[in-house]
Amino acid sequence: MSSDHAQESGLPQELTEEQRDCYQEIANIAMGQAAALLSRLLGVFIKLPIPRVNLFELADLNMALQSLDHDEAASAVCQGFAGDGITGEALIIFNDSNFEDIAQLMNYSGEQSEAMHVELLMDVANILIGAFLKGLANQMDLTFSHGHPMVLGQHKLVRDLLQPSRQPWQQTLAIEITYSLEDHPVNCDLLLLFTEDSIRIMNQKVAYLLDD
Amino acid sequence: MSDQSLRDIHWMLEILQTIDVGLVVINIEYEIQNWNGFMENHSGHRAQKVQNRNLFDVFPELPHTWFCQKVDTVRELNIRAFTTWEQRPYLFRFRTYHPITSTAEYMYQNSMLYPLENTSGEVEYIAIVIFDVTDVATNKLALQQANSELARISRTDALTQLYNRGYWEECLYRELLRCRRHQHTASLILLDVDHFKPVNDTHGHTAGDAVLRHLSRTIRQNVRETDIPGRYGGEEFGIILPETDSPKAFAFAERLRGLIEEEAIQIGDNSVSITVSFGVAELEQNMQTIEDWITRADEALYQSKQSGRNQVTAT
Repeated sequence: MSSDHAQESGLPQELTEEQRDCYQEIANIAMGQAAALLSRLLGVFIKLPIPRVNLFELADLNMALQSLDHDEAASAVCQGFAGDGITGEALIIFNDSNFEDIAQLMNYSGEQSEAMHVELLMDVANILIGAFLKGLANQMDLTFSHGHPMVLGQHKLVRDLLQPSRQPWQQTLAIEITYSLEDHPVNCDLLLLFTEDSIRIMNQKVAYLLDD
Repeated sequence: MSDQSLRDIHWMLEILQTIDVGLVVINIEYEIQNWNGFMENHSGHRAQKVQNRNLFDVFPELPHTWFCQKVDTVRELNIRAFTTWEQRPYLFRFRTYHPITSTAEYMYQNSMLYPLENTSGEVEYIAIVIFDVTDVATNKLALQQANSELARISRTDALTQLYNRGYWEECLYRELLRCRRHQHTASLILLDVDHFKPVNDTHGHTAGDAVLRHLSRTIRQNVRETDIPGRYGGEEFGIILPETDSPKAFAFAERLRGLIEEEAIQIGDNSVSITVSFGVAELEQNMQTIEDWITRADEALYQSKQSGRNQVTAT
């Protein structure tokens, strides 16, 4: 009853248990593919957590980011995507203390510099975001156009990385994944944020998958 | 194939040829297979001329190791990769669309590398897509420059070009904290021009300004790189000397006093001589705040004034 009402008024409903499981499963597969590629590139084992799927208002985005537990300075890259009426942004958040290890694993020689950090951020973002979106698109049977990745900020506290949203009441579907490396103190977060408009279309696609 | 779909393909090709985005296809040996009008026009090479030529021969400025690393990732992992102008201003050194009026010498570029699969799913070719982002890049760089200029202005005293009081006190506070944390020492010098009012009254305010500028220059030329001079107030200046005990700071102040006393300042046809009084205070355990520290230096300065000016007193 309440969900019917929500649909009529155009408001996104709560996720059903089934939908949440389904998103989690899709994310699991996409995340696994991304991790396999990163693992190949870095030559280390990637530990995979369970992806977290949540619906919340954009006003709470910063709170969600802070719960990711980056209490030190971090850097972030953001990349937009669009396809089949689904739009969103992918965020990579990277603790600054990771740079040295990642540089070593990727065989970057030379001094740690701002330029090298941008390079590393972009490399990691290309792989994690690129592979995840590819996996997601395959499963949902669509193709995404990718915007150009953008460095959101470097060496900042997570709460200062994002500007406050202009539409704080808008709902977003968020998939959060924390990648960490075995035997290296490296972890980075991948955050997929889908717009309110996309949620209905995605739910339809997911319903189709659930029917199978 | 129907006429309609043939026409569609023809249109598409025409658009790809003329679109203001660079399109290049290379094989895994880095040999150019084809490129579009954007590439022809900006490089000056027709597509037929460069076909099967090695990309690095055509563009010697393209960093070999870096680019191969990106292409390897795209090929092996079969994903697209992006590079931004913030990593490297450009892949290919092209002139901008405003070669006369632009502040940028070359076109800033974002690029995308895209794997092209053959029918059996292997990546045989790589597409390179080049976007001209000169406008975005120059605007962002200009903004950064403006911000750092504003930051500089906000901490600089306009007359003397030394740090202004606000920023200088911030430096003093940081020095205090640093010394506490690392158990180091530092000294503070306050100096004040003797009988400054008569200079203004006799020679005018422009002369007073010239005196202050001259004094600032003398201070700037004689401090060490790590010392931090600032204008504290009207004719009063402060110098922070990190890693310096009281006797050393005293010696430095004494040398500076002598220099100032000897040098006559030429203002128009007049020559003006000034002297300066100094107070020196080394940081002490019991100083809690920068006010405590400044007060001690100020007391020493007062002592110098009381004992006849043109001298240095250390606490």
